[in-house]
Amino acid sequence: MPLLDLPSTRAEAWRWADLGALSAAAALAPIARAGHEPHFLDLPGARLLFVDGLLDEAHSALDRVTLAHLTGGEHALGGRATGIGWSLRLDADAAADPVQVVHVATGGENHLPAEIVLADNAVAQVVETFVGAGWSNRATRIELGRSARLGRAVRLIQEGGFTSLRDEAQLGTGASLVSTFLGAGTAGTRIDGAVIVGESGYAEVGGALLTAGEQRQECAVRVRHAEPNGQSHQLWRAVAADTSVASLAAAVEVARHAQKTDGEQSLRGLLLQRTATVNLKPELEIFADDVKCAHGATVGELDNRALFYMQSRGIPRPRAQALLTRAFVADALDRIGNEVVRDAFAADADAWLERTL
Amino acid sequence: MLVIENLHAEIDGKPILKGLSLSVNAGEVHAIMGPNGAGKSTLGYVLGGRPGYEVTEGSITFGGQDLLALAPNERAAAGLFLGFQYPVEIPGVSNVQFLREALNAQRASRDEKALSGAEFLKLAREEARKLDMDAEMLKRPVNVGFSGGEKKRNEMVQMGIVDPKFAILDETDSGLDIDALRIVGDGINRIMRAPHKAVLLITHYQRLLDYVQPDFVHVLADGRITRSGGAELAHQLEREGYAEIAA
Repeated sequence: MPLLDLPSTRAEAWRWADLGALSAAAALAPIARAGHEPHFLDLPGARLLFVDGLLDEAHSALDRVTLAHLTGGEHALGGRATGIGWSLRLDADAAADPVQVVHVATGGENHLPAEIVLADNAVAQVVETFVGAGWSNRATRIELGRSARLGRAVRLIQEGGFTSLRDEAQLGTGASLVSTFLGAGTAGTRIDGAVIVGESGYAEVGGALLTAGEQRQECAVRVRHAEPNGQSHQLWRAVAADTSVASLAAAVEVARHAQKTDGEQSLRGLLLQRTATVNLKPELEIFADDVKCAHGATVGELDNRALFYMQSRGIPRPRAQALLTRAFVADALDRIGNEVVRDAFAADADAWLERTL
Repeated sequence: MLVIENLHAEIDGKPILKGLSLSVNAGEVHAIMGPNGAGKSTLGYVLGGRPGYEVTEGSITFGGQDLLALAPNERAAAGLFLGFQYPVEIPGVSNVQFLREALNAQRASRDEKALSGAEFLKLAREEARKLDMDAEMLKRPVNVGFSGGEKKRNEMVQMGIVDPKFAILDETDSGLDIDALRIVGDGINRIMRAPHKAVLLITHYQRLLDYVQPDFVHVLADGRITRSGGAELAHQLEREGYAEIAA
């Protein structure tokens, strides 16, 4: 049996995928386990530490989270994450403290499924952090009941290998999902998402991918409005340095009877050097006639006039570049509601800038 | 303080400044006037160190230092301030953050202690008040959504905060109504009129000079200074036009 049986890059959804990197990541020799403690944020609530996809019970506090046998679904990568995973299930009207999950990879490949199921009016926050090196593959199923609200923030800061995420979310009437991703490590990443928005539902899926060296990161997210009056925002920023490649593919699909849908897509790329590549693919498939779907896609460089202006006031050029780049990704990361989490993401972005500029 | 000798500069291979010489001493205000296309703004940008403005001949010394050897931020740290004709909008970076970074970078290069957030805010509010700028505008992204006059006023607030030794003000009067012109003029006098400071006003019209009295007026035409005189030269230019006098 081949190590990996993956789709071809001839398939549209995989055209920019760096599938070779997966085998390479899976073949990474074991490395020393990175310290996990600094990656937990100062928040109350559950703390889950997974090392190579296995729960480290001594360093975890499950709170309302349980372990369960889960399936990863049909997706080419997500489907591999079938087995024992973590599950957050909240009853109607329940509100949990934030759930933090830190995934440490120490070489080789590891696969882990998860589910977040919120009953009507339940509220939850989940923060995930990926560190270490290896191929970490995740499948997360999200199901939100009527008016349930989930805030999800994922930071991908592995230093080697590859992180692949597959999220499948189903939003009930009036439910809200805000998912924010930050790729600021040195590993390859692929974020795959499929979100189905119910009547009057609200979905935000976005974030920032910061690539450098020969790194490749990409997202491929599809939001489907199945019912009327839904709202969605896909706001992604890509910053690429050196010879790296960042690819953003965001699709919005509006079903025939999903009238009054309000969909927004904003994909923007920033090239720090002309040897870098940013691919953008906004996609709209609209079958209803009374909808508002705004979309924008631009790739550019830092504004030389702004750089000179800042320098002429005394700011050294690398710092001016960092301030402008930070401003470029800010609106994608500012959507994180929790201040502690938002600050941690900002610090990761700053660390990336410090390293890269 | 500033000595420019036989300065030649070009943009994209096109010569703009063709042998400009000028000497400014501490305590003096000089005005450079001239027709459109004479090279006034180019002079400002060359002094500021803008990329793309290539000096092909001549020298500029500032306080005894070779100015052309310094990066733009080093020129700022040495006490040079360039007021822009078209101040740049910087979305996502607040005025406060921008100016605090700028001031502290300048202070760091002079081995001075950085100002804390609170200390800086006090200073910035005070300057904004003196220039009749709403303190709320300090929180807004740099120049974004500012009117032409507000941008110029913001330039003066920045100048007050960094407190330079030498200011080059490029068409600072354009886009200002009569009240704003007075406030900006007062600001220039308050911040820059001192025995150890000097100003180079680049302007097309005489009206700013009613508020900031120049000690010397120079006419810049076709890349050179063709005539120099006292404040009365500005009035003569206003009356008779450049064509007559610059030739």
